[in-house]
Amino acid sequence: MSKKTYATAIRDTIAEEMRRDDRVFIMGEDVETLGGVFGCTRDLYKEFGVERVRNTPISEAGIVGAGVGAACAGMRPIVELMYMDFTLVSADQILNQAAKTRYVFGGKARIPLVIRGQQGIGRGNAATHSQSLETLFMHVPGLKVACPSTAADAAGLLRTAIRDDNPVMFFEHKALYSVSFDVPDDTEYMIPFGKAHVKRAGKDVTIVASLLYVSRALEAAEDLAKQGIEAEVIDPRTLIPLDMDTIVESVKKTGRLVIAHEAHRMAGWGAEVAAQATESAFRYLDAAPIRLGAKACPIPFNLELESAVVPSIKDIIDAAKAVCYHQEG
Amino acid sequence: MIPKERKRWIYKTMNQIRCFELKIQNLFEQNLLRGSVHLYVGEEAVAAAVCSLLRDEDYITSTHRGHGHCIAKGARLDRAMAELMGKSAGYCKGRSGSMHIADFEKGNLGANAIVGGGIPIATGAALAVKLRRSDQVAVSFFGDGAANEGTFHESLNLAGVWKLPVVFVCENNGYGISVPTWQSTAVKDIGVRGASYDIPGITVDGNDVYAIYEATKTAVKRAKAGEGPSLIECKTYRYLGHWTGDPQTYRTKEEVEEWKSQRDPITLFREKLLKEKAFTAEELDAIEQAALKEAEEAAEFAINSPEPDPADVLEDVFYEKQGASL
Amino acid sequence: MAEWIIMPKQGLQMTEGTITTWFIEEGGHIEAGADLFEMETDKLTIRIPASEGGTLLKILHPAGDTVPITKPIAIIGASGEDIAMMLASVEKGAVTPQFATPRAKMTAEQQGIPYQEVPGSGPDGLVIERDVLGYSLAASVRATPLARKLASIEDVDLVSVSGTGSHSKIMAADVRRAARRNRQSSVRGEKVIPLTGMRKVVSSRMKGSLLDMAQATHRITVDMTESVRLRDMLKEVEIKVSYNDIVLRCVARALSEFPMMNSSWSDTGIIQKEYVNLGVAVAVSDGLLVPVIKDADLLTLQELSACSSELAVKAKENRVTSEECSGGTFTVSNLGMFDIDSFTAIINPPEAGILAVGKLSRQPSVIKDEIVIRPMMQLSLTYDHRIVDGAPAAMFLRRIKELLENPGLLL
Repeated sequence: MSKKTYATAIRDTIAEEMRRDDRVFIMGEDVETLGGVFGCTRDLYKEFGVERVRNTPISEAGIVGAGVGAACAGMRPIVELMYMDFTLVSADQILNQAAKTRYVFGGKARIPLVIRGQQGIGRGNAATHSQSLETLFMHVPGLKVACPSTAADAAGLLRTAIRDDNPVMFFEHKALYSVSFDVPDDTEYMIPFGKAHVKRAGKDVTIVASLLYVSRALEAAEDLAKQGIEAEVIDPRTLIPLDMDTIVESVKKTGRLVIAHEAHRMAGWGAEVAAQATESAFRYLDAAPIRLGAKACPIPFNLELESAVVPSIKDIIDAAKAVCYHQEG
Repeated sequence: MIPKERKRWIYKTMNQIRCFELKIQNLFEQNLLRGSVHLYVGEEAVAAAVCSLLRDEDYITSTHRGHGHCIAKGARLDRAMAELMGKSAGYCKGRSGSMHIADFEKGNLGANAIVGGGIPIATGAALAVKLRRSDQVAVSFFGDGAANEGTFHESLNLAGVWKLPVVFVCENNGYGISVPTWQSTAVKDIGVRGASYDIPGITVDGNDVYAIYEATKTAVKRAKAGEGPSLIECKTYRYLGHWTGDPQTYRTKEEVEEWKSQRDPITLFREKLLKEKAFTAEELDAIEQAALKEAEEAAEFAINSPEPDPADVLEDVFYEKQGASL
Repeated sequence: MAEWIIMPKQGLQMTEGTITTWFIEEGGHIEAGADLFEMETDKLTIRIPASEGGTLLKILHPAGDTVPITKPIAIIGASGEDIAMMLASVEKGAVTPQFATPRAKMTAEQQGIPYQEVPGSGPDGLVIERDVLGYSLAASVRATPLARKLASIEDVDLVSVSGTGSHSKIMAADVRRAARRNRQSSVRGEKVIPLTGMRKVVSSRMKGSLLDMAQATHRITVDMTESVRLRDMLKEVEIKVSYNDIVLRCVARALSEFPMMNSSWSDTGIIQKEYVNLGVAVAVSDGLLVPVIKDADLLTLQELSACSSELAVKAKENRVTSEECSGGTFTVSNLGMFDIDSFTAIINPPEAGILAVGKLSRQPSVIKDEIVIRPMMQLSLTYDHRIVDGAPAAMFLRRIKELLENPGLLL
């Protein structure tokens, strides 16, 4: 184990995979000498050269499309988008091309493409640079969606993503980049997709959270424990494939479900989890599941406004208490 | 100069495409074929002449009007026809139909039903070629409409900056559905747009096999030499509507008739071949007859092919064999 | 949206509750958190605050009704809201079907319990898993009937008691032990009882009385032989009066004869009242009310008795109006029923005096140099020395004694 920041874990994993497989290369805006705006490719060009650590023009559709083409032609490209908000600029290439190519071509194509970048609140980047868009990419079949909540998960999931023969949308969180975690030194450390991580065991309520909300859910769980409620916190780690088995098992045990994410609550992935859990464990539910997500407005710039839009730790605590019918005192 | 056998191949391919397309139209009218089919009749010279210079390992990306590219890149007529009829023996197991047909084994990275969607993909394939330092080349076919999409400009710039081995072939058939090119496109010749990205841009007669051939030959040579991309605009004409059933209120019958009678690419090529005595009329007739027969047999094959099994509908969304590439 | 107000479950063993008071009337507005009604169970009396503010649209169960837990007792909502559907459902007897969570139903099914029988503790009486488990555990406990009864009285959770009977059956002694243990283990601290309106009124009036007046007290012992005889005579003709009624009649008469005792102080002069309005102190559950018998000196003993008992009942039922509690000129307070021999009362301002009546008891008494046993009663008059001096007050008290000892004088 080494202590590493989330950003360094991503950088090191990219480096290890580029060393291991010369089909792997990375392209994106400012990835070369600047090392990416968030430092996830720092100094990689020194070891791998500017061909494989490739600065691109600001042409998101072009570079994602080039990623699709290079993947079709046998390479294993990683496309870094400076902000995952820019997936919307390249939406056709992701949703119509990358996602559908294998299927419509009758299974002949393999698209080993990773589209990665950061998203979310925390830096005052406002409406077009602070969204959490993972749900959009769950809706269109053909993409895998990974959401690491720690540096170790970032390393393990990214390695799996790079070695996967399918397009993977890899959502990092900007507020986690500078946070340090223990990361396995193993250069073969891989976290299988579709395997949720039970971060904390508990018998009273299941809290499903991802990215930044995993640590928030864990904090809420500590507080809940003091009030006599034992929360089970589950990080699905990948949303496609989604490990509903682990979540459903947990819900069968606790009978109560809260989903907390930064993505908008309206039609956010929490709704999917709640619906599937209800379908699979209806008779086990002792309360209607509660979804927590960003309110239905764009993410505002002002810090207090930004905080007001996304769920707070107290919101998670209150939701857990509500499904537990917990009475004060 | 086009070598003789390559001329035969081009003539054969043009006839295959035409017979295939007319057969499709016939099947569609008999209600044996569903969906949108965009026919290539009148534009055969472009696909045949360009692809005569490509090998199996070279890549193409194609368009919604992609049957011609698919056949010219080596697809069998019967399996292509089966795909258009949605049969399991089709190239894509009946999943793609006309607009997404692909044949990866022959380097066809697929028709692309999103206008301009294939241009960055061909660019990416060329990037793969460059990174691997192989001598392949990628060709992107697209129409005049796609030349106004952002992906066209982004891709030309990307390929220009990175000097990628890609040839951008614009098939300008004069109309984006009903909108004439002059109404949608600020430049008279799309070929001039190469200049913006410091890549050679040329506009040729898209019904003239020789002109297309020479331009492509130069572009492919340039790509393989590592000198970067080229843009070739081929001015051509589609005989049929944008889709089967298009009322074609946007153009006159006289205009269509003039192209058909004066500028037909197959007729022009045949006359040239006869004039230069490359082949006898009997030889060329035999090629035409063979193409007609092949299209009929392809239809027969497709009609008699089994339907895909709905139980397999979820297959191939993902490549499931995890770690296969490890 | 109009909402049901249900009989809430308060404590483990509660199955029903009796509404004692509605603090607002139908149609009245209430803020969230304000006391809405008071109810009592066999163990406690509790005020229930409104969980949401609004208009009390309908009281389904008036004070005095006993209602099973979770059943609706009222409807609250916005003023003018249509509650016809809700009322119709009450009439059909189909009020709030018992709802249970899927998990509660599943658990109930597994345990072989009809979930409809389980009291729900979730929102609006929703049966949740906890309720079923608790119900099932309680039902599964083996205990003697006496032990169960005792557990209910002592609020002991039988599940937590280990039985010493055969097959671990819980015996009454086990419950007593557990109850003792609970009492010992529970931390005995303090609790703050919020001040009710009545408490505040009593507090300020009593404190004001002592601060403003110069209160002095005289005591006297009365031989009630003749009064007893009078009461017995009336009883024989089926006229029921209490000793207190006789006292009230005598006091009213004495007041009409001693107008200074029927006065009140003001800075400009002593206000002497021509009417005699007698206040009668009545102990109620959480305080003290003094309903007033108007023009008491003009009433016959029988009329006085009827008036007095009606007011007492109304006071105990919390039905007296503030009108009925005001305008008094003198007060009588009787604690005889509590075995009190004698006590000093505090004047109910702005009156000039108050008579404290002790119990009637048979006492040795010296009559013509012989010790005889007589029904005796002690009276204690507290008066405002600013208005009345010691001697006239003494004469007033002696006059009451005289009247009680010779009730014939009342005629």
